Amino acid sequence: MKRTILSFAVMIIVILLVSFLLIAMVGSDIPTSLASFFRGIGGSTYAMAEVLVRATPLMLAALGVSVGFRTGFLNIGAEGQLYLGAISITWLGMTFPTLPAPLMLGFSLVLGFLSGGLWALIPGLLKAKFGLSEVINTIMLNYIAINLVGILVRTSLKDPTYPYPMSPMLPASTNFLQLLSPTRLHAGLLLALVCAALVYLLMFRTTLGFCMRAVGLNARACQCSGIAVSKYVIISSLISGGLSGLAGVSEIAGLHHRLIEGISPSYGYLAIIVSLLGRNNPVGIVFASLGIAALQVGSMSMQRSSGVPTSIASIIMGLVVIMILSRKSLFRCKEA
Amino acid sequence: MELVVLSSFLAATVRMAAPIALAALGETISEKAGVSNIGVEAIMLSGAYFSFWAMFQSGNVYVAVFAGILGGAGASLIHAFLSLRCKADQTIAGLALNFLFLGLTSFLFLMQFGKTTTLPSITVLKPVALPLLSNIPIIGEALFAQDPFVYVLYLMVILLMVFFYKTEWGVILHAVGEAPRAADTAGIKVHAVRYLACTANGVLGGLGGAYLTLVKLGFFQENLTGGKGYIALVAVILGRRNPLGVLIAALVIGSAEALQIRLQTLGSTIPSQAFSMLPYVVTVLVLMLSMGKGHDPAALGLPYERDKR
Amino acid sequence: MPTLRMSKIDKQFFGKMANEQVDFTLEQGEIHALLGENGAGKTTLMNILYGIYQADSGCIELDGEPVSIKSPKDAIALQIGMVHQHFTLVPTLTVRQNITLGLKSKGYPFVNAKELDRSIRTLSERYNLTVDPAALVGSLSVGQQQRVEIMKVLYRNARLIILDEPTAVLTPQEVESLFIVLRRLREEGHSVIIITHHIDEVLAITDRVTVLRAARNAGHVVTRETSEEELSSLMIGRKLQKIERKPLPFSFASKGLQLDSIQSKNGPLGPLSLSIPAGSIVGIAGVDGNGQKALAEVIMGIRDIESGTITLDGKPLQHLSVKERKALGIGYISDDRLKDGLVLDMDVRDNFLLSSYDKREYTSHALIDTKRVQQATEQAVSLYAIKTASLSTPVRYLSGGNQQKLIVARELGDQPKVVVACQPTRGLDIGSTEEVHSILLDLRSQGCSVLLISSDLDEILTLSDKIAVIYQGTIMDVLDHDKVDMTHLGLLMAGSKTRRSV
Repeated sequence: MKRTILSFAVMIIVILLVSFLLIAMVGSDIPTSLASFFRGIGGSTYAMAEVLVRATPLMLAALGVSVGFRTGFLNIGAEGQLYLGAISITWLGMTFPTLPAPLMLGFSLVLGFLSGGLWALIPGLLKAKFGLSEVINTIMLNYIAINLVGILVRTSLKDPTYPYPMSPMLPASTNFLQLLSPTRLHAGLLLALVCAALVYLLMFRTTLGFCMRAVGLNARACQCSGIAVSKYVIISSLISGGLSGLAGVSEIAGLHHRLIEGISPSYGYLAIIVSLLGRNNPVGIVFASLGIAALQVGSMSMQRSSGVPTSIASIIMGLVVIMILSRKSLFRCKEA
Repeated sequence: MELVVLSSFLAATVRMAAPIALAALGETISEKAGVSNIGVEAIMLSGAYFSFWAMFQSGNVYVAVFAGILGGAGASLIHAFLSLRCKADQTIAGLALNFLFLGLTSFLFLMQFGKTTTLPSITVLKPVALPLLSNIPIIGEALFAQDPFVYVLYLMVILLMVFFYKTEWGVILHAVGEAPRAADTAGIKVHAVRYLACTANGVLGGLGGAYLTLVKLGFFQENLTGGKGYIALVAVILGRRNPLGVLIAALVIGSAEALQIRLQTLGSTIPSQAFSMLPYVVTVLVLMLSMGKGHDPAALGLPYERDKR
Repeated sequence: MPTLRMSKIDKQFFGKMANEQVDFTLEQGEIHALLGENGAGKTTLMNILYGIYQADSGCIELDGEPVSIKSPKDAIALQIGMVHQHFTLVPTLTVRQNITLGLKSKGYPFVNAKELDRSIRTLSERYNLTVDPAALVGSLSVGQQQRVEIMKVLYRNARLIILDEPTAVLTPQEVESLFIVLRRLREEGHSVIIITHHIDEVLAITDRVTVLRAARNAGHVVTRETSEEELSSLMIGRKLQKIERKPLPFSFASKGLQLDSIQSKNGPLGPLSLSIPAGSIVGIAGVDGNGQKALAEVIMGIRDIESGTITLDGKPLQHLSVKERKALGIGYISDDRLKDGLVLDMDVRDNFLLSSYDKREYTSHALIDTKRVQQATEQAVSLYAIKTASLSTPVRYLSGGNQQKLIVARELGDQPKVVVACQPTRGLDIGSTEEVHSILLDLRSQGCSVLLISSDLDEILTLSDKIAVIYQGTIMDVLDHDKVDMTHLGLLMAGSKTRRSV
């Protein structure tokens, strides 16, 4: 027990030291940079809301990733699935601008879930039926999805009035409720929290969840016991992609209100780290997404005020994961 | 006239394939020993940045290549440490590495060169035409009038074929990845072999990354590799972990990229993204076509513990 | 001076003592048995000698000199060789490559196949062990693979050779061949240690015996001077209770399980026909690797068949899924409980209900009814006396015996109509073995069709009403329990259909 606490303490210290070192290397003043970091995440209502806004897509995508992980489906494609969700709501808003808001909301959620789900279903089917590794497939589909967005915002989804590659502003009926003007906080957060509760119920209280978890832990034993492995891999990939698709819907409906390139600063990959930190558990994911979001928002604030580059966040995140992976071994912790 | 077009297309294919092939050969060695490294992106980025930096500082190609190799090996050894010593999940270790090095190389680049409007650049390596061989019609120019990295690639393919299939070392590598327990009880140091394999992965991947800066682009920028590391992983699978097969797989993928550039220069109203999608779509399709064939080393991705009960 | 002396060896794993103050001495040029039931500590002791584990305390002396063995490499350097129970061969490499694995032969690092083949042949002739250097190990029979393992050890100049349960996977004839090899080794001056739990083997081939029981020394005798009763009581600590399998006075209405000319898809089975009447135990005797596992999987539905029929009391099963077959009352004990039978990181409850979680009695309003789950598991645990810290303990921490009992409780507890039991007592101590045997006999008297697949001939002979011999995926013959002749059985297992000796 003592070793565990010690190891976590050392981890935190190392991370802080490395952050300070990086800040100093850039030539910035550490106290000032730190101050701007904290101001950026908690110095005002707006700042705190920003963290929540950033955490929302992370939460949704990480929930998706965790459902996949638990079934043994390594979904590295959350990025692409998120974009598919974004594409779907854009298409919906552009094609049916007169739809009343409640219907629009319902359809966009369903369509977003299905689009993301479908994008994950492709590698899911390939894995279930042909045993092909989903790791490479989902990564390739990410790049395809990003390019797909690039094509669509220049062609069928393009705003004809602007020369820039983006969709027109979507009708107000697609907008999520703004929760706290003048901050950017929107109902996507509520969606994310509701999904967290639903995922918890699903994974730990339903038969479906049990079977998915069992498949993830020992697919062969499941096969011998009559649990249909392919079926659960496929369902898991669908749900996994669907949640990431909802993340995409949330970003468009709550934040951007139009489709542009680059709406996701690697949320899909960050979601994997969030899921890992949260131990693939909805409760942990909620907190981990807040943590990573804070890191991102804070580092952007540091860049604005003190010129510390945002790549520092990437370094810290990679380091955090590496430390988590090596902690037990380095400190010889004998944990269950 | 068509022959010239074909020849230059082939030459472009080889150039596109080279960095991928080098990295893929490295990963092949690693996977044969049973270690799967998703962090090839990180290795290539590291090789790319450090060789660029060294070239910029010293102007000496050899120093630059060496720096690239060290950079790649460093990244790979972190992965080796996590996989072999900490017995971590190799996929997650690879992803973490990618994040780390993406940030690290961007950070270091920014630090060294600041925010300038003009990209710092270096002179790229010139191609060297091999006498006689480069005069073979059509393929001569494409295969034998390339930069030195490509010749190193050919040499590596030959060396690795001999290594894998004609030496005891190759048998040991195979045993370590297929049945580590058998290798251990025969007195082979399983972990030592795996560390060496990971180092080789870093060296070759670093070379692949160095290619991008020293030969192809002449400059560095954030996320220079843009997914080439992942494509290298696909080449490993397609090539069935056989050095020659991997080279051919890389050429197939390289041809998709060359095609993309050709189509773009032909000019059309189709957005460029449709073409940049091409290599990725091709890899997914080819992956699907290869299903059912080939055999993964039985111990791939599994940490080896002697004391396991 | 003894060739080997191990003194006061202690070794524990996760708090449990595997070896406690164990002494072991080996004289030069003898065949010495290390006898004990499963879990007694025999393999652990030898793994310490071979450098796979390090003892927590105690010392090892070779020819009077203390030695330190930190890895198999050290052991090999000291001319100690070990043939493990689960072969340590690389199936995708050839015999020659396996034998010379990691060795620096002439011309290193290049492989000089001709030279190597020559030296292998010389060794072959000297010890009478015929092997084909160019064959892929994965294509060899188990008996042939064992020969390759022994060659491997001899090629490295082993003087002290350890064999771990060498006869577990051999036909009676192959056991005889092995014994001839062992006597040859003794003639050539090697010292041999055999780890075994088979008393008849000990009496047949060894010079001296060391018995281990519950991680400690239990006795040390000279083979010539001892008896089966003495060894048995040293090994178990009490008198062996012979299981009584009485013929049943009644018969059952059900037609039992029938397999008719089945052929598995691209597989090792077929054409195979077999009948397992209700209220009987049919034992499948055969060398490992002749289609036993495929037979079990085909009945369960894990493996597909291309043609033929499987019926349960007349009702065809071929098109039913595993789940549907289990619902009809077919229980399955796989030979690999860790891979096929349990989800190690889930707890006792989850494993007990692995296949039943979607049954209506365990769900309410689409959610799992945790109370009912708890109740059902508690009942099973007490009924089968499964020792576990709590129901929430991950099954990984249960002993092999308790893990197996959990599987038995799950698969056999619901009055099954058919039971397919593969190696049900492998790795279990005598107490647990007896419990499982009596459960199978109880099921039989309740009308269940029991298919017993085991490489332990004693088990098959004790429990079965009929014994079917499997060879290369077909049934060679079905023998009545009272009419079994060991030689004939051995021949059938080796594929010979006639009564003439080979």
